[in-house]
Amino acid sequence: MAMAMGCLLPPEPSQAAYREHQSTWSPYENNGGTCVAIAGLDYCVIAADTRMSVGFSILTREHSKIFQLSEKCILASSGFQADIRTLQKHLDARHKIYQHEHNKQMSCPAMAQLLSNTLYYKRFFPYYAFNVVGGLDNEGKGCVYTYDAVGSYERVGYSSQGSGMQLIMPVLDNQLKSASPLLLPAKESATSLTESEAIDLIKDTFASAAERDIYTGDSMELLVVNASGIRREYMELKKD
Amino acid sequence: MFATGIAEEDRKGSYVDRSISRPCNFEISQQSPVTHTQYPYVTGTSVLGIKYKDGVLLAADMAGSYGSTVRYKSIHRLKAVGSHAVLGASGEISDFQQVTQYLDELVLNDYMWEDGNKLGPQEIHSYLNRLMYNKRNKFDPFWNSLVLGGVENGQKYLGVVNMIGVHYKDNHVATGFGNHLARPMFRNEWREDLTLEEGVKLLEKCLLVLFYRDRSSINKFQIAKITEEGVVISEPFALKPNWDFKAFHNPTLGADGSW
Amino acid sequence: MFLTRSEYDRGVNTFSPEGRLFQVEYAIEAIKLGSTAVGLKTKQGVVLAVEKRITSSLLEPSSVEKIMEIDEHIGCAMSGLTADARTLVEHARVETQNHRFSYNEPMNAESTTQAICDLALRFGEGSDESMSRPFGVSLLIAGHDEYGPCLYHTDPSGTFWQCDAKAIGSGSEGADSSLQEHYNKEMTLEEAETLALSTLKQVMEEKVTASNVDIAKVAPKFHLYTPAEVEVVIARL
Repeated sequence: MAMAMGCLLPPEPSQAAYREHQSTWSPYENNGGTCVAIAGLDYCVIAADTRMSVGFSILTREHSKIFQLSEKCILASSGFQADIRTLQKHLDARHKIYQHEHNKQMSCPAMAQLLSNTLYYKRFFPYYAFNVVGGLDNEGKGCVYTYDAVGSYERVGYSSQGSGMQLIMPVLDNQLKSASPLLLPAKESATSLTESEAIDLIKDTFASAAERDIYTGDSMELLVVNASGIRREYMELKKD
Repeated sequence: MFATGIAEEDRKGSYVDRSISRPCNFEISQQSPVTHTQYPYVTGTSVLGIKYKDGVLLAADMAGSYGSTVRYKSIHRLKAVGSHAVLGASGEISDFQQVTQYLDELVLNDYMWEDGNKLGPQEIHSYLNRLMYNKRNKFDPFWNSLVLGGVENGQKYLGVVNMIGVHYKDNHVATGFGNHLARPMFRNEWREDLTLEEGVKLLEKCLLVLFYRDRSSINKFQIAKITEEGVVISEPFALKPNWDFKAFHNPTLGADGSW
Repeated sequence: MFLTRSEYDRGVNTFSPEGRLFQVEYAIEAIKLGSTAVGLKTKQGVVLAVEKRITSSLLEPSSVEKIMEIDEHIGCAMSGLTADARTLVEHARVETQNHRFSYNEPMNAESTTQAICDLALRFGEGSDESMSRPFGVSLLIAGHDEYGPCLYHTDPSGTFWQCDAKAIGSGSEGADSSLQEHYNKEMTLEEAETLALSTLKQVMEEKVTASNVDIAKVAPKFHLYTPAEVEVVIARL
């Protein structure tokens, strides 16, 4: 090939070793992470690990996946960090507009519906984000909402999302022994555990998930929402 | 005469001026098709960054590789942004230079407010996040991993953005190969109170390891220092590699074969 | 008076040198020609009552619609150009339903009133889409939300006020002073129904019948009274 042409053309495959492996790019990346939330009768606990990874690499050990949407509403998200950050900023802006229009903070159930709509509006180029919303509802009761990436959502008593959910969810099912959602009339979904029991349970599930899930680890950030406000705690996790 | 719709269209075209009946056709054929970046052409390798006692240090070599060919050897991959921040880039060099132009424009516009207010590293990082994410949303990314280091009223800032908008902050960062080779060394040796000398020494140690193991890196580097006083980007320098390891003299010595 | 105004009452977006928008003021004047409407707030809910001018015995009374539902917890009585009110009510219905869609909760009455006033103010000589003149209608908006029962009054200038009791339309002056005299915050809903209707009766030229008044309540849901229910209230007068 003529030298003059050479600089106009992309490197030949034989020259560019990386092209043999990476033919093109993906607009998505999985940055991992696990989120858990438990609703009590007068409190809600929301937790997530702080590891951010891609493939077998750790990008950083201290990246928060938890975002405060309002005084009584917390969002924890795992998946693709760039989409998650965009989603957080979007909801934050929507909440500011809501406060200007309605002279009040958005309630947790309202925020939950807004998040569902926001996710569904991007149904055909989704936010790769797996969310859990936790907080207190209008009656001051703990509430947890759990989502898929395109906006399906449900109010539950407890939930987990992200790379460690397969490890954590069955433990929560077993320990919280909540009434079946199939029962009619519907039974109370919030757990009867005390606040400190719920916190201990979450700490155990994260320590366990960090043992086997390579995308969960480093440390855990935990928020407790109750009538007196929001409290934040951290716990160290395995760093391997 | 002709019953089909296609024939109807054709007949119209035959006596009605095309540019009137189909004004768009002519226009479109004149334009080049919309193209998206699908792979990089000339690339830079790892960028390293650490915080130290008085500020932030960034380091990178000066190679611009065309595939596996080291095509350019004096590419500046560390660039000052305003007075108290430096941007370092790995990946497509032309995209980095484009980003650099956007930033110069941004900083100039900010300066022209004459309000004594300056864009801090956090704002610049945030701008870069949105820039990279918006490009990925258009399926036409800037093919880079960017490192931003800066200082703003006593606060040290060190962040990364990649080509699809993923971003984070840390006390020490590295892109590409650096994340595999330099990051573990940072984790062992980095301290909050590293002096300038210790910081530079740590970076040079990592650059040398990358030079040994990353085939697209070259022995011509720059280090940028950002402190409260401002930005200093060093002149290009070389490190003294040590090739005297026994295995380097005769690599096949310890590998007995059947022939 | 009109001579001095004639220079500045042509355009809806031209202030007079004294800083007035005459077209808006004329629109407010137009309300004073409309049929009377009253609204009263009690602790149990809000009552709305309107006079319907049945101009002919051949007219079907139920087709004169001056009280409309905006959402199940918000109702609205009008005076002035009722055709303009329909545009505002339609807008409010869309806003409240959009709010339910977005947030899975009913929209507050104040926000709904604000949304109506935003539209009321959106007139001018600009695009083809927008209204070319002010909306010539005044509304009484009754709501029941998380803060309890409430009553709002809007006018063509896009201003709104919160009220305990309010009358609008041709008989508003007499009705308002009557309300000021007889209204108290501790009234029951039933007493409010009676006061609303007796106030209307005072300012109406015709005798009050089930076909020439409409009554509605929001307590906590909107309900437009049937002729039989109106008869019950008339019987108490």
